[in-house]
Parts: sequence; structure tokens; C-alpha cells
Amino acid sequence: MDFQLLLSSYASVFTNLQVVLMTLLGAFGGILLGAIPGMTATMGVALLVPFSFGMDLIPAVGLLLGIYCGGMYGGSISAILIHTPGTPSAAATLIDGYPMTQKGQGGYALSVAMFSSFCGGIIGALIMTFASPVIARAAMNFNSGEMFMLAVFGLSVIIAISGRSVVKGLISGFLGMTLCTVGLDPTNGLPRFITRSQTGLYEGFAFIPALIGMFAVAEVIAGVERIVRGTERHAVSHEKITRVLPDGGTIGRIWPNILSGALIGTFVGAIPGAGGDIAVFVSYGANKSFSRQPEKWGTGIPNGVAATESANNGCSGGAMIPLLALGVPGDAVTAVLLGAFIMKGIQPGPMMYVSELPTVYGVFAALMLANLAMLLVGCAGVRFFAKIVSVEKTVLYPIILVVSLLGAFSINKNVFDLGVCVGFGVFGWLMNKYEFPLSPILLTLILGPMCEQNFVRYMNLNHGDFTRIFHSPIAMTFLGLAVLSILYSIWNQGRINRLQAAEAERA
Amino acid sequence: MKDKMKTVAFSNLIASLVFLGAGAWAYSQTLSFRTVKGSYVQAATFPQIMLLGMMGFAGVLLVQSAWKLTRFGFKANDWAYEKAASLNFVKDRGVLFALVTMVLCAAFVAWFRTLGYVLASFLLCFAVMVLIGKRNLVQMLLISALVPLCMWLLFYLLLKVNIPMGPLTFVRDFVDDIL
Repeated sequence: MDFQLLLSSYASVFTNLQVVLMTLLGAFGGILLGAIPGMTATMGVALLVPFSFGMDLIPAVGLLLGIYCGGMYGGSISAILIHTPGTPSAAATLIDGYPMTQKGQGGYALSVAMFSSFCGGIIGALIMTFASPVIARAAMNFNSGEMFMLAVFGLSVIIAISGRSVVKGLISGFLGMTLCTVGLDPTNGLPRFITRSQTGLYEGFAFIPALIGMFAVAEVIAGVERIVRGTERHAVSHEKITRVLPDGGTIGRIWPNILSGALIGTFVGAIPGAGGDIAVFVSYGANKSFSRQPEKWGTGIPNGVAATESANNGCSGGAMIPLLALGVPGDAVTAVLLGAFIMKGIQPGPMMYVSELPTVYGVFAALMLANLAMLLVGCAGVRFFAKIVSVEKTVLYPIILVVSLLGAFSINKNVFDLGVCVGFGVFGWLMNKYEFPLSPILLTLILGPMCEQNFVRYMNLNHGDFTRIFHSPIAMTFLGLAVLSILYSIWNQGRINRLQAAEAERA
Repeated sequence: MKDKMKTVAFSNLIASLVFLGAGAWAYSQTLSFRTVKGSYVQAATFPQIMLLGMMGFAGVLLVQSAWKLTRFGFKANDWAYEKAASLNFVKDRGVLFALVTMVLCAAFVAWFRTLGYVLASFLLCFAVMVLIGKRNLVQMLLISALVPLCMWLLFYLLLKVNIPMGPLTFVRDFVDDIL
């Protein structure tokens, strides 16, 4: 590792006013969106990707990472104050966070959440800085067959993000893989599912408009439906925030939870597909098991908030490891980030550590800065963010709609992309309505082309003999990991379904 | 049987048939893709594998759902017996208004070039607010006008992206004159 270059990259990122401003703006937007129930970090990043279009890479990455880190923390605000997690990653924070609010300690819980998020994020970013170059070096010698198996391993996480039906997740995944074959065949340039006159689809569906459609437009349509039907929840918080950061005594009590949460979060985040929503429960469970007073967990103690919040922000660093080192996104947000990198002409993966090392170090520094920005914006605006949880959806949804559509247009300045965005919005609404998960489609839209290109290259190099791939230990390792990941996810989903059924029976 | 038709299991059955039908149609399309001599993987190969995968799992969902709809496959507290979402826009105003929102979005796309972003967004934003029951006219007008205008300014001035303005092109000239 080139420490001199690393330090100079940190210095240039931290002293670049544009990067600092964009990261602060991103953190503000991220916390704002994260705090509003139903607005996820994925949606925030998708909405703001077009805003980064005219910027240089590092300010753009700063903006997006700011949203990512801010969104992770922002989710805890509504979880703590109104018992509604703003993002799935904050789902475990309400176990102890909301009881603290009920005891009149909402402000205290928010300060613990913010401090833990910051520490978790910094620890995750440090681990990413030192671990990803090692992984990238190992990945440098992968051939096309091994890259194909790596993509298959990345795709195996579809099961983990499938929700309660694995079969539906797989249907979504295969559908997404088919959708990314629309356009010209990457090897011979032959049209697939299009005619020669459909020039707008030559390069397939534009990723960002499709993404905005599935995650923003679809949510607005669903929101309209819920509001009209009267099922949209509107909770209001009257909590007064008096404290911004926890005192020394509290930090002394919660630091073991922060440390273990951050390590668990980073580790879980580094596994493709296992994002913050899984990490928080793993961290909560582990910290509770090792606690001297496990009976107090769930009654409103700061340790519970610290364990979960440090884990979900630790995830941000962890999820960046496979993204940067292997070019495989760790979760839905990093899948969007991968799209943003590609839009900027940079292909994350091992070769990035050779050809774009200063950029890689710039990204490391930007993640560190994003966590710092989250702390600063969080401290300065916690009272404001506490109010935003009660924002009227009748105002919010129309605003999201016009901002999303503008974002979809601005990428290629093409009205056809607007149509793609609305089309994917309707498609996403339908898929969501009938519980066909959208995250597998997002993942396949990213990994599909990588999978196909390496498959074709491998087959052509090996004269059509696919069985030779079984002689490569690296390819077999990825295949083994993919099989393990699938089996574990199926078992885990079955367990979750059984637990939910048992709970329903008890209720 | 009438109640069973409102369950998730039944909607899954219908969805699996839709996926099977769509998959079969798409597969038939791949048969007409051109081929290249000497290439080990043709343009149709990858989409065909994916479509077979999709149809295979749609088949699994079909069998699974059909089994759950029989009295032998019934298991209490299985989520497959929860009430399925409806698409009946005659009985469900929520679905009807969601469809109207989609039509409004489609109209936005169709009129985007002619009306320009600010005007088209003003109409869309206002219409959606009316749809979802916002009735404070001043707030509605202000939000519908200011949000698109601010977004346009942000893109035009800061991000240097030129967005169509339609009949409001004079606003762009005005901004250019000021700067």
C-alpha cells in the first residue's frame, strides 16, 4: 500500500471545498430522506445520482457516499421518535430506541445513535482502506471463467434479498437477467428483442432511469394508492431534543457495543447481498448474548441503540470492499453506486487498483469524510430532522415525482429515458404489489452484463467447453461460496417464515 | 373457492402463468435472432438460458400455488393465505388513483418537449396533489411552481444541464441576461 499517496489523497479530498460541500450536502439529503419513513438510502442515492452528473468523480462520490452514510443514520431518527424505522437498516434500533423515547429520553437516544453511527462508519472505512487492496491484489489474476463465477457468486445473494418467497426472488432475478440482454449483443452487435429502428434501446435499458423508475416512481404510485385508501401512516413526534452528543460516562458504557457492532457490520456488509438490515439484527443478538444484563435489552438502554447503529454504518465501509476490490456490489445502495461509477467511465474491480489508484484512495477518503459530514450535519440539524419525520406525504410524493423524472431525463437528455423511467415505475409498482422483489432485478441489471461478457469470452477461449471451468480452484471456490450462500439463505428464509407463522399463531 | 381466489396463493398462480406466457413469447423471439458462424455462444444463447430459468421457477411457483390451493396443501398461518393485493380499479379507489397517476406520468412524458419541464411538472405536481387530497390552494400552487423552477435552476446553473423549457424559454433568456 502506497501510504504517501494515500495521505496525499486524504489531504486533497479534505481540502477540496467542492468535495467537502458536496459531501455535506449529501449527508444532509441522506439524513433527511432516511428520516422519512419509506424513503430508503437506495432511493436517496438513485434520486441524487443525476445531480452528480456534471461533477468530477470525487465530488460526485462524496455526494453519493454522504447520502449513503446519512441515510443509514437518518433511519434511526424516525425509529427512535415515532416507532417507524426510516430505513430497513434501522429496524433493530427501535427495539431499544423507542422505549427510550417513551421514558422521555428520545434526545439522548438520538445522540447515542449519532455517535455510534459515526464511530461505526469510521471503523468500517478504516477496515475497507486496508482490506480491499489485499482482496483486489488476489483478484488481479482472475481469468474470464473465474470472473464469471465471481458474478455468479454475486448473483447468488438474490436469494438473501428475496423476501419471504425465494422462488419469486429467483423469478425476479432471471427476469432482470433477461432484461439486461435487451439491445445489441455485446460480442457480435446483433439486435436482441429490438428492431434496427429502435435506436433508443441499442445499449439496452438505461440503468439510472430504470432504477429511478423502480425505486422512486413506483413508490410514489404506491404512496398515492395508500393515501387514497387511507392506509398511509402519519405519525407525529413532539419530542424536544436537548442533547446533541452523549456524555463521557455514556461513551464509557457503550464503547464495547460500538466496537463489536462496527466489526460485525463491516464483516456482514462485505458479504454481497447481506446489507445493513441483516447486520443490525446480528449485532443486536450478539451484543445481547454477551451482555451481563441481557434482560435489560429491549427495555430502552443506550447499549441496544449503540450496537445496531454502529453496525449499520459499519456496513457502509464493508459493502464498499467487494464493490471496489471485485466490482461486485455488496448491497442495493452499492449497486447504485456501481452504476454511478460506470456512468463516470470508471469500472470498479481489481484493475482499478492498478490504473486508478489515486481515485481509489480518493474514494477511501471520501467515505471517511462522508462519516464526518454525517456527524457534523447530524449535530447541527438534529432538531430539524426530528421534525421532518412528521412531514406530510401529500406534499412529499408530488415533489419526489417531479424530481425523479427530471433526474431520469438529465442523464442522457433523452425523452425516451423518461418513458423508460415511467415504464419501470409501473412495472415496479406491479412487482411490489404482488411481492416480487425488485432488489434482485437491480442486482442483475448490474451484474448481468459482467456475467454474460465473461461467459461468452470464456466459452470462445475454450472452444465451447464449459467443463474446463471445474479445473480452476478459484472458480470452484466462488461456486462453492455461491452454493453455500444459496443454501444458507434458503434455510434462513425458511426459519424466518416459520417464526412469523408461529408469531401469527400466538397473536 | 371465491375466498381462495382472493389469496396470495391464487395471485401467485396467476402471476406464474403470466411469467410462463411472457417467457414463452420472449423465447420464441430469440429463435429469430441472427447467428454468427464459428461463434461458440450465439446472441440468443444467454437470453435463452435466462428465460428457461425464469420459466422453470415460474413453473415451480405454479405447482406450489396450485398445491396450496388444494385442501391437502392447506397449512394454517401460511402467508400464502393472506389477502392478495387487488387490481380492481372499479371497487378500489386506491388502484384507480394509482392508475390515474400513471396516466398523468405518461402524459408528462408525451408533453415534455412541448410544454417544457417547468410547465409539465407544475401540472403534474398540482394534479397529483389534487388526487391525493391536498386542498390548501396556496401551498399547492407554490409547491407546484417553485419546486420545478428551483430544480431547473439547479440543473441549469450548477450542473450545466439544459432542460427543455417549452413556452417558458424566455425564463432561460432572462436568467442568461442576469448572469
